[in-house]
Amino acid sequence: MKSFKLSRFITNMGAYIILTIFALVMLFPFIFMVATSLKTPDDTFNYPPRLLPREGVETTLEGFDKPVPLYHIDIEGVKRDFALVETGIPAGIYAELDDLSSTFSVPLDMVKPSASGDQFTLPDGTVQPIMDVPVNGTIMQLVQTGKTALGRFIDPKDFSREVFQVVRTSQPVTKVTAHPENYSHVMTMENMGRSLTNTILVTLFVVIGQLVTSVMGGYAFARLRFPGKDKLFVFYLGTIMIPFVMLIIPLYQLMVLFGWTDKLAALIFPWIFSAYGTFLMRQFFITVPKEIEEAALIDGASRFKILYNIFLPAAAPALATMATFTFLYAWNSFFWPLVIINTGNYENHVLTLTLNMLRGRASDSANLILAGAAISILPPFLLYILGQRFFIESAMSSGVKG
Amino acid sequence: MQVQKTHKSINQTQLIIKVTTAWHFLLSISGIFLIAYIIFPHGLKNIPVWLSYISAILIGLLSIGSFYSAFKLIKLQRQGRTASLVVNYIGLVVTALLFFQNLGIFLGVDALAKTFGSSIGWLSGVLLGYLVYTIGDRYHYRIQIEEMFHKIGKYIALIFFAIFLIKSGLFPALIYLAKQMILPSNFVILFVVIVFGLAIWSMWREPTALYLNRTNAQTEALEGYLFLSPNLIGFLIFFAFPLVFSFFISLTDWDAFGNSNFIGLANYFELFKLNLKQLANSTQDFFQVMDGSIFSELLRFNMFGKSYVLGAADARFWIALRNTLVFGIVTVPLSAIPALFLANILNSKIPGMKIFRAIYFLPSIAAVVGISLIWQWLYNATIGYINYFITVGLDFINSVFSTGYPQAQIRWLSESRTALLAIIIVSAWQTMGFNTVLFLAGLQNVPKELYEAATVDGAGRWAKFWKITLPLLAPTTFFVITTTTIQAFQVFEQVFIMTNPPGSPGTSTLTIVLYLYQNGFQRFQQGYAAAIAWVLFIVIFSVTLLQFRSQRKTGAYDV
Repeated sequence: MKSFKLSRFITNMGAYIILTIFALVMLFPFIFMVATSLKTPDDTFNYPPRLLPREGVETTLEGFDKPVPLYHIDIEGVKRDFALVETGIPAGIYAELDDLSSTFSVPLDMVKPSASGDQFTLPDGTVQPIMDVPVNGTIMQLVQTGKTALGRFIDPKDFSREVFQVVRTSQPVTKVTAHPENYSHVMTMENMGRSLTNTILVTLFVVIGQLVTSVMGGYAFARLRFPGKDKLFVFYLGTIMIPFVMLIIPLYQLMVLFGWTDKLAALIFPWIFSAYGTFLMRQFFITVPKEIEEAALIDGASRFKILYNIFLPAAAPALATMATFTFLYAWNSFFWPLVIINTGNYENHVLTLTLNMLRGRASDSANLILAGAAISILPPFLLYILGQRFFIESAMSSGVKG
Repeated sequence: MQVQKTHKSINQTQLIIKVTTAWHFLLSISGIFLIAYIIFPHGLKNIPVWLSYISAILIGLLSIGSFYSAFKLIKLQRQGRTASLVVNYIGLVVTALLFFQNLGIFLGVDALAKTFGSSIGWLSGVLLGYLVYTIGDRYHYRIQIEEMFHKIGKYIALIFFAIFLIKSGLFPALIYLAKQMILPSNFVILFVVIVFGLAIWSMWREPTALYLNRTNAQTEALEGYLFLSPNLIGFLIFFAFPLVFSFFISLTDWDAFGNSNFIGLANYFELFKLNLKQLANSTQDFFQVMDGSIFSELLRFNMFGKSYVLGAADARFWIALRNTLVFGIVTVPLSAIPALFLANILNSKIPGMKIFRAIYFLPSIAAVVGISLIWQWLYNATIGYINYFITVGLDFINSVFSTGYPQAQIRWLSESRTALLAIIIVSAWQTMGFNTVLFLAGLQNVPKELYEAATVDGAGRWAKFWKITLPLLAPTTFFVITTTTIQAFQVFEQVFIMTNPPGSPGTSTLTIVLYLYQNGFQRFQQGYAAAIAWVLFIVIFSVTLLQFRSQRKTGAYDV
């Protein structure tokens, strides 16, 4: 019995490990998005990449008007935080006479020609004087092989302790920070604020419009008898599979005819009629018991009243499922807005279009681009957290019944 | 007294029917004049030819319907009422839409969008009203308190909505509409709208219906079409008509300015024009064997020791077709097989499964544009995480097996060998979770008893999977594969965002829909683009059909 439990435990552990790995794969890009959107521009280009937004730590020192950055300095194996107080100090690279690969970088004004006045011939043939170079407190006889620029680092507690080394390869002291102002910055770029309202408005119209038409059409298909009903329904069903790409050219021409190019109307009115939504509502209404409706009819209730008072309240979950489906479609759509709203007409851009523009304009600021992406991606996520059930159901309903 | 009143109302009804009959005669005659005006070459010049023909046909049908209903109404038959209602309803809808269009109501959305940002906050008040309303539901044992809450909730919602409307610019909008109304053309249209409305009322009212012996079936049919009409009209205008129209466009050389000539199947011939020539040797110049002004080189191959070259009039189309097929063939299994695997794990009832399911579903609700932007940075050659992870992995291998793999510096999106693969990975990643949910739903329909019986018979885990799960899951698998394929063949947004310029490097990520977009909206050869759309449709349709066939052949068990 014990071995059964053990093998079960191992199986479960295996399952959890696999599931967790996949969960990380699914989540990582979004975590990356949020983390990067809070970074400073410099931080986004750090290699190796680090996930959390980090920033150099600065400190104020007496005698310096500006705060100075802190760096990790390695002194005799102990790491200390030193402040960088001066950069670009001209320095030479000095090598040992018997081992030219062992070099030290020291500022030029700390070096004096050696008392002996000897000279040394480098492998490339140039002749350099031998210099007295202070290295870690001792003076060494070295020869200059190159030039560089150094930074002066001092101990914040004891200004007299100073170290010279190349700034670029020094390791700055960092702390985890967040720059939410990236979001407010990106909202002012490329008319992002306006496009966010446009997206909300369009999505609202499309969702409400599709609900109304689908509920009415679904009710007619589910409950009313009229000539040609079955043929029409089959026709509706058949069109669900037709790809949208088929319609893009003729719809564009239609919009030109209506004068709706570059207008938000083009993003709304063609999309408030959905064969799929009608089908979904019909499938639901057909399950509502007939008796209630018949009783209401005998009492003299009109069809509108029956639909509004009996069917709609019962259909709340189905409506929510359909609403999430439509919401995602309207919120995320890109191809049609790209075609119908001209790139020059910023006023009527929706979020996805603005992201496309942003990609071009802020092409080297990952923090801004991903803040924009987050503005478009996070609202659906928020709704998803609130009403996860309906999202999952809208996916399932597309599969199980179709 | 009673009899007199009834008599009077019958007289009234008869009069109404007579007036409506006259209206229908008038309508059919004016319809004929309208057709003549539209078709006559000097009539409406500012509308395209195809539109004038379509509207002529529509008006013709309405005229015939109108004449028919007048004819039947004289005979006092109930079909006359039906025909009259249908004709007048269509007339009402068309004229009302025209009226709205003329007033600029549809374009008013733009004006609303300007102020919407500042007024949207007030909409939360409507939510507040709803919350107050729902509080009332708690007191359903004390009807007065319940009703009070309901009333207060309603008022709060109404007041906030009114504030929202005013803040959104209700008054300027009304003033604008009033100014528009003064224009005589709008006045005329409004008048016609009202006449159609009156005609509907005259037939719909109960006395007329009774006088014309309405039946319940007739009422139900009329109500059925009434309920369906908003949906059906939109469906016809924005779906069925464009679908037919698209085929018509594909037979023309439509350009940016709406100039079009009927050119038959020339667009399709251009797409499919191929030329196969034998080469003297495998490195012979292409232009020595084919006319370079018509054909460009598509591919070279060797067969039976001889070299051939295939030229195509539109090589880019064939490349796009190949890329799309490759994309579909790789993406579908790449997203479906892990999904099936994950769904099987999730289906074993260990705790926490719902959380995993929720996480897997996340990518499929995010905008493709946003996703593509994220992955673009993940794929970055110097600082991207993908290369970093590969480097870390290689360093590990190097340290264990003391091999010498260098750091990964793959330029994922700008190297023609990897660009398509990079996009395939993103798409598979995005659809995997959705497919997992679908598979999971399918798995939950598989009866548990079958597994128990199999366990009793001594079947192992694999045997159960192959012999029970997979066959019973066939309908779901079919659905997953079909929808993923249809989606994959329409890939556009990922390519458009992630490669720059879209389709680069070279033509390595050029897909059919991208090619369609370039033709239709960058070069404005809309006729040609429509032909590409139809080719894509045929490809998708035949693949679906093929899958449908194979599903039938394997004899999927319907649960």
